[in-house]
Amino acid sequence: MRIIPLKLLITLCTVFLLSGCWDTKDINHRSLPIVMGVAMEDDQYNIHLQIPDPDTDVMQVRIVSETGETVSQAVDKLSANMESRIDLLHVKVIVIEKELAKEGVKDLISGFMRAREVSPKALVVVSDEKIEPFFSNLNNTTDPQGTTLFDFFDKDAGWSPQIALTRVWELYRSIHSTTRDVVLPIIKSGDSTVIQHLGSAVIKNGRMVERIDPEETLLVNAFYEESTHGKVEVMEEATVLIVGNTMDHKSRNIDQVPYLNSQLHLKVVLLETIGKPTDKEIRTALETQLTNRFNEMFSKIQESKADVLGLGQYFRAKIPSEELKKWRSEHYPKLKMEFEVHAVIRNEGQIKLGAD
Amino acid sequence: MDPFIKELKEKFVHSDDLFLHEEEILDVPVLLVGFKSLIDFTKTKVTLQKYIDTAISSQKTIGELLNEIGEVKEKDLEEAVSSIMTGKLLIISNSHRKYAVIEPFHNMLNRAIEPPTNENILQGSLSSFNEDIKTNIGLIRKQINASNIRAEFFSVGSEQKTKLSMLYFEGQADKKLVEKIRSSFEKNQDREINNLQNLAKSLGFSGWSVISKVNTTELPSETVAFLRKGRVALFVDRYPFALILPCFLWDMFTLENDRNYPIPLMASIRLVRIFGILISLLIPALYVALVAVNPEVLRIELALSIAQSREAIPYPALVEILLMLIILELIIEASVRLPSSIGPTITMVGGIILGQAVVEAKLVSTLLIIILAATTIANSTLVGIQNSLAVRLFKYVLVILASIYGVLGILGGIVLISAYLASIETFGISYLNLNYAKEGTKNG
Repeated sequence: MRIIPLKLLITLCTVFLLSGCWDTKDINHRSLPIVMGVAMEDDQYNIHLQIPDPDTDVMQVRIVSETGETVSQAVDKLSANMESRIDLLHVKVIVIEKELAKEGVKDLISGFMRAREVSPKALVVVSDEKIEPFFSNLNNTTDPQGTTLFDFFDKDAGWSPQIALTRVWELYRSIHSTTRDVVLPIIKSGDSTVIQHLGSAVIKNGRMVERIDPEETLLVNAFYEESTHGKVEVMEEATVLIVGNTMDHKSRNIDQVPYLNSQLHLKVVLLETIGKPTDKEIRTALETQLTNRFNEMFSKIQESKADVLGLGQYFRAKIPSEELKKWRSEHYPKLKMEFEVHAVIRNEGQIKLGAD
Repeated sequence: MDPFIKELKEKFVHSDDLFLHEEEILDVPVLLVGFKSLIDFTKTKVTLQKYIDTAISSQKTIGELLNEIGEVKEKDLEEAVSSIMTGKLLIISNSHRKYAVIEPFHNMLNRAIEPPTNENILQGSLSSFNEDIKTNIGLIRKQINASNIRAEFFSVGSEQKTKLSMLYFEGQADKKLVEKIRSSFEKNQDREINNLQNLAKSLGFSGWSVISKVNTTELPSETVAFLRKGRVALFVDRYPFALILPCFLWDMFTLENDRNYPIPLMASIRLVRIFGILISLLIPALYVALVAVNPEVLRIELALSIAQSREAIPYPALVEILLMLIILELIIEASVRLPSSIGPTITMVGGIILGQAVVEAKLVSTLLIIILAATTIANSTLVGIQNSLAVRLFKYVLVILASIYGVLGILGGIVLISAYLASIETFGISYLNLNYAKEGTKNG
């Protein structure tokens, strides 16, 4: 029995000596960048990092930049020059310059997924302006924590339903999927607000091919059954607030031509009216407005052969997988889309319709 | 002088509280022998005189009288000595070759029955056990009016005899368990029992077990509840606790007194205790893991504010937390040691050190102070001091594993602790047993 504590002691000692627990760095010796900006300059990646620098009293935000053959090289150079190690796991937003997005981000995103340095949950955003002015404007914000950009896309904070949310893994998936593309939000630094949202970039195979505006992005989000709660729709007759949305799809494939019938069910709350419209008039106006907007957007993205709505997903069981590989080039342009909106006015507010 | 008395005197040489009082009972010269410190001599003599008076009036002989008031024995030195040691009065007559052992009035050497000092109780019966084994068993009998309660006595030890008793409910307690305990006492008849470690040895348990295999309680109401569930209670003379066998993990979270509240309240109190063990085990380890190894798990806002609070702190997280935990253990230990009159001083000094000065001196972060406070408070919610001591020790295992392997290490540590708990068994009954009462009844 006496030998057991001795064995235990030896085991404990070896655990300490062999494990290398001194390799870990405490949180205050790590730099935790929140935003990473990537641009391409003369075949060299230009990396910007926004790093909150916790001081004992005030939080300061630093912007550091470096160029390198690859992202890892640039980060490694930065890490060597900084007083603490850069830990990319906390990067929440990756800002890609528009030029690079147009050129293609396939390798960049594959690198992120492979190295696991950056969380696959990080959001990917396209910057409409050059990375450098974007970051210097971002740094002029008053937010002490430097989380402005992250808060802008945070569903618990500043996100609105007309802003697309696409994560690194979703972008990676879209690059390798035959039936699905993604939209990335396009932003630039604003005049009165820190950030200005300009719409979304349509990304096909990792390359930006088209732009859609915020109103159209709302429909894309509705299509993915993201909550559109809180979006205000203005029509001639009235202004309504969307409080709930669901989608229904029916797909058919007749004579090599795919047909899709999609129905958007909306619940809205009445905010303002102009004149005395009836319940039905308001609903019809809303339905026509959204249907027209959708059809306009759909013809645009269909032309660019980018399936950002993921419509190919509804034909996975109907088209053989060999054929599905040609989905974007052959089937998708032939797709007949029927989009219907059904709106319900859930609440007319304190004043009933036609009361005043 | 009688050689017997001479031998007796020699045996108790330098024992100045021994009295040898010469007296005449019914005109026969006798010697009253006993310990002044154990016997209330005046009261005993008055009562003895009453017996003598009735004996004179009914014309009894001295032999008849002694038979009536005590036990007459042959002159056997060993037995006489042990009778005197246990506080009996000996009446030795010079002429006869016999002596009588009489139960005298004892000096009051026991505490009264008092409220519990180690286990606080809210809205429940307040009497607690004291040092006298008979009082304790009496308390049990008073608490529950049942004819099937059995109290077996054992006397163990070679030099100093210790009285032990085993209480159980006939028909409720597992017969095999009772038999195993009985036989292990009989087998270890010569082993002296002065403390719980001795007792554990006697019962055949390893002394290296972190978790105590006997559950201790000083409340008769709790003990009776355990007995009713088929457990066995052991009493050791001069040890004011009932020792409950077998002991289970679930005992850490339950008190019988909880059942004096409505069921939802009882359930939530027990839930709080479960949170207590989780918090006191996990939080210090999580601090080390999240600060040193896996900061990516934290939300960015939290990560930044932790980084800010740790700014300019010289030690790594492990050293920091070990330093403070050890100071905290010292404070807890010191407040147990100190007399209650200077106890508050320690609390105050400790409070100042932990709460303010250490943070201001930038030795540890403010977050750590919160974590330490939560840990210590949570630890105290567990039932039974022996259990919270064990959890206090397990905490360090997790802290060290967390410092090496991070969150994964915590998981590994929990698996390790769970495996250890699962390995504990008492007389073949697993420590993790949740349904013993029902099974016990079935066996009985």
